[in-house]
Amino acid sequence: MNALPAWRRLCGLFGFAIALTIPAIGSAQDTAPTIRLFPTTVVEDLRQTSSVAREMETGLQEVIGRLDQQQLLYQESKCDGAEADPGCQRLSRQLGATYLEMLGIMEERLPDMEHTVNNTRLSLEKRLRSEIGNKMTSWTLQETLLGGNPQGAEEPGPSMRGRSGMRLSERFRQYYQLVASSGSQNDQSLAVLASDIYLDMDETSELIARTREEIARATLIEQLNQSFGTITPEMMEVVGGVKSILFGDEAGYVQVAGPPPSYTEPAYVSPLAQ
Amino acid sequence: MNTLNRINTLRTLAVALLSLALSACATKPPPCGSPATKNLDDAIAIVQRSLDNGCASHFDRYYDDLLTIAEGDPKPENKRIFSEFLVWASDEGLISQRQAKDYYNRYFNVKFVALASDYNNCSHTCPRRDRVMLQMERELSDKERGLLRVSLDNAGYYRADELYQEVELVLEATCTACEAGR
Repeated sequence: MNALPAWRRLCGLFGFAIALTIPAIGSAQDTAPTIRLFPTTVVEDLRQTSSVAREMETGLQEVIGRLDQQQLLYQESKCDGAEADPGCQRLSRQLGATYLEMLGIMEERLPDMEHTVNNTRLSLEKRLRSEIGNKMTSWTLQETLLGGNPQGAEEPGPSMRGRSGMRLSERFRQYYQLVASSGSQNDQSLAVLASDIYLDMDETSELIARTREEIARATLIEQLNQSFGTITPEMMEVVGGVKSILFGDEAGYVQVAGPPPSYTEPAYVSPLAQ
Repeated sequence: MNTLNRINTLRTLAVALLSLALSACATKPPPCGSPATKNLDDAIAIVQRSLDNGCASHFDRYYDDLLTIAEGDPKPENKRIFSEFLVWASDEGLISQRQAKDYYNRYFNVKFVALASDYNNCSHTCPRRDRVMLQMERELSDKERGLLRVSLDNAGYYRADELYQEVELVLEATCTACEAGR
């Protein structure tokens, strides 16, 4: 069965959906940055994506709860190794039917998600091209990133950098925190933040497209499984994975190391320094 | 008469050879050796004398020697010592002011000399992004030497390292956006 890759992708989308349900992203517009990377249009696109994702998450949560209960019942009934038992076969089919229901919800909601994610990606793409690509040289970009204190004694920037492989939900939760507190953020943080979100959106967009392709195949395979009345290890794994994403799993949390203790004396500034 | 002419010719030849030998001695290059001391101030004094005495073409090597000596006695004050040495070299006309700035900033400043450019990122930086990042990586290695191992400026080096990662991320996103707009 080739459902596992599809499921993994779906799990990523769930995380993405949950993260975007956080409503306060819109507050980013309260403090406009000097370089306009998050104008109202981009924030509105983020809000829209958040709204669509919230709808998808709401629809999925009940199904996932049911999957959880059915899986528990299957295990408590000691059905592992007793697949021929008529009662276990019934439980297995119920579990498979719920799994199919989940795939159906994803199939129904993904086009909207794809549309809003693409809108956000395209908005950010335009801003990055205009504000950093065309208006800045590599030197001014460097100065923007360094902010007003290039001697290394400033506070650490956003604690998240690049696409570190952490779960999407955790990453977007951090995005939210950074954007929501943009009153204390400056251009240096916003440039990094916009880049991070854009690259994630770019990947997510591709992920959604691939997932939509996979759903049809996963549905077909599960329908075949229904006929045979079996529950696959992949399905069990997926239920656990989806649960961990929806209800929290700290195991995958990646904390970026803080700076080493800095030298406290005033830094020497050479007349040669640029 | 023939014999007399021959003697005169030989004499002239001998004088010519002698003067050639003497002139060769006069233009023999100075030793331009590396300073043997481990004391940075003494080493700088030795290097300054050598540079003044015709060894200016060895400036790169001397600078490297001084960095190596400073690594043996790292301290924040070393930044100032190197800055003053470079200002002196520039004032003496041994290197240009631009070179002095590059020598200093490459090793002792958080900012990357590799990012110096007057043209916008879409048109200039993105087409050569790999090369720019490679130059930055090499420069970061020099900053590790100058900021960390010579000046004990941990915070400065940490910021340079962080800046490298930020530039890499922002350029990846920006160049993807630039490429999509074509």
